[in-house]
Amino acid sequence: MLDVKIKKIILHERGTLLSEIKFALEPGNISTILGSNGTGKSTLIKSLTGLLDSRFYSVEGSVVFDKEDILSLNYSSLLDIRRNKIKYVFQDSINSFDHLMKFDYYFRRIAKDISEADDLLEYFILPAPHKLFSLYPYEVSGGMAQRISFVLALLAHPQIIILDEPTSGIDSAISNLFLIKLKEFVARKNQLTGEQDHAALLVTHDIMFAQKISDKIAFISEGKLSSFVDTQKFFEAGIDPSLNKFLTAGNSLWK
Amino acid sequence: MEMNYLLKLENICYSVDDSTHLSKGGAKKIILNNISLNLEKGKILGIAGESGSGKTSLAKIIAGINKSYNGEIIYNFSGEWKRTKTNPVQILFQNNGEILNPLRQIESIVEETLRIRHQTKNVESEKEKIFESLNISELVRKKKGYELSGGEQQRAAFARILATNPELLILDEPFSAQDPESQLNLLNLFKKINHEYKITMICIAHNLSILNKLCDEMIILYKGNIVEKSSTQELFSYPKHPYTKFLIKAGNYSLNYEELSATKWKDEENNSTIE
Repeated sequence: MLDVKIKKIILHERGTLLSEIKFALEPGNISTILGSNGTGKSTLIKSLTGLLDSRFYSVEGSVVFDKEDILSLNYSSLLDIRRNKIKYVFQDSINSFDHLMKFDYYFRRIAKDISEADDLLEYFILPAPHKLFSLYPYEVSGGMAQRISFVLALLAHPQIIILDEPTSGIDSAISNLFLIKLKEFVARKNQLTGEQDHAALLVTHDIMFAQKISDKIAFISEGKLSSFVDTQKFFEAGIDPSLNKFLTAGNSLWK
Repeated sequence: MEMNYLLKLENICYSVDDSTHLSKGGAKKIILNNISLNLEKGKILGIAGESGSGKTSLAKIIAGINKSYNGEIIYNFSGEWKRTKTNPVQILFQNNGEILNPLRQIESIVEETLRIRHQTKNVESEKEKIFESLNISELVRKKKGYELSGGEQQRAAFARILATNPELLILDEPFSAQDPESQLNLLNLFKKINHEYKITMICIAHNLSILNKLCDEMIILYKGNIVEKSSTQELFSYPKHPYTKFLIKAGNYSLNYEELSATKWKDEENNSTIE
């Protein structure tokens, strides 16, 4: 569904951050990139739809979606993809909103069918539309903003949802809600063809969450991304020393 | 035995005027309801609960930042601190990057704190001891606030706290937003500091599994009430309250939707509102 072949992501001040990033998102799958802080996970997902500021970053390579290379699209087609096809839920979702626009603005602009909002807001334990829509983003907590951002992403009926650290800063119970909803999302079928055509990409350092939610996992460290393997296999393998170190730390915390 | 406690809370209640858009105006919202507990010297107490359960409010009351509560707090500090200008209760916050002066060297921040605490004696050796136990290298000591990575910021803030020689240290969500390796390093660091400096600690977190590794005692807060209070071992082996069981299961990401929606633990607005 999304075919990523990025040769290099360069931060002009510092040089190459990531190189040889190759993977494909498959319909019906939740794919997760696991890695420590500061390994370039957020940079990587931002590069996929040209969200990195070109004054500071260059991206060499291609990201093919619907037979077109996103990185060489003109601006209006790029906006169309960001608005309708590939939606993000960022870690600091609160900063994704203009603090002087009420939520009403975002829901009416983004939702394909506003009547779906009721159920989703209730599901994510958020205030009902008549209450929420009259709030400004600065009136909600960071965790609420993250949930609202996810609801908005779902309401846009995209084909791909990309989430950045969905479990950091929110309660475990809410993370469970994310997990269930995301699995429902990728299982959706195209109404015409009857085939699955939704996918999700996550980046996180939460090993346990990754293990529960992912169909495939890749490990990112020292500027490189490993290939995606089935979740079970990912935890069996462990030849890479930095991956071993990462998993061992996780094990001693939770076991 | 009786004198072994550092802190005693008796029936702490705290409420605020609730005038947000999210609820009816004019009502009182209960944040903490009848909180009582004893904390023994040298122990580490874990406080767990979801957002809005009152964890941080309780911490602020214990630290003396918030004084508008009802009930009684009895501290049993050693007394040395009375001669100094520092507070025997210190909090390690989550967002240390915003707290450290970006334009000052870490070394000078720690030095100043030591000088504020007592007369200029022993500053060098105490500084050395603090930096060593926190594994802060010569290089990092010379760095300024803005040059530090997230992990370094946290250790630098921690160094400044140790320089005040606190008797009670409150850790507010120290693990959230840290990756597993940093979490493990921090966990071991807290245990070491608890042991070496004999500092009593309270750790607030929503991540139960890490509290299991760190704490001697646990309380579970739900909407301002203590729903369970026991030794860590007992809490995790034999959780009694359904909310505790729910939290443990949530921490393993193993709740299904029925369990999530069947629980009463949702944010029912105005639930804890009194007229």
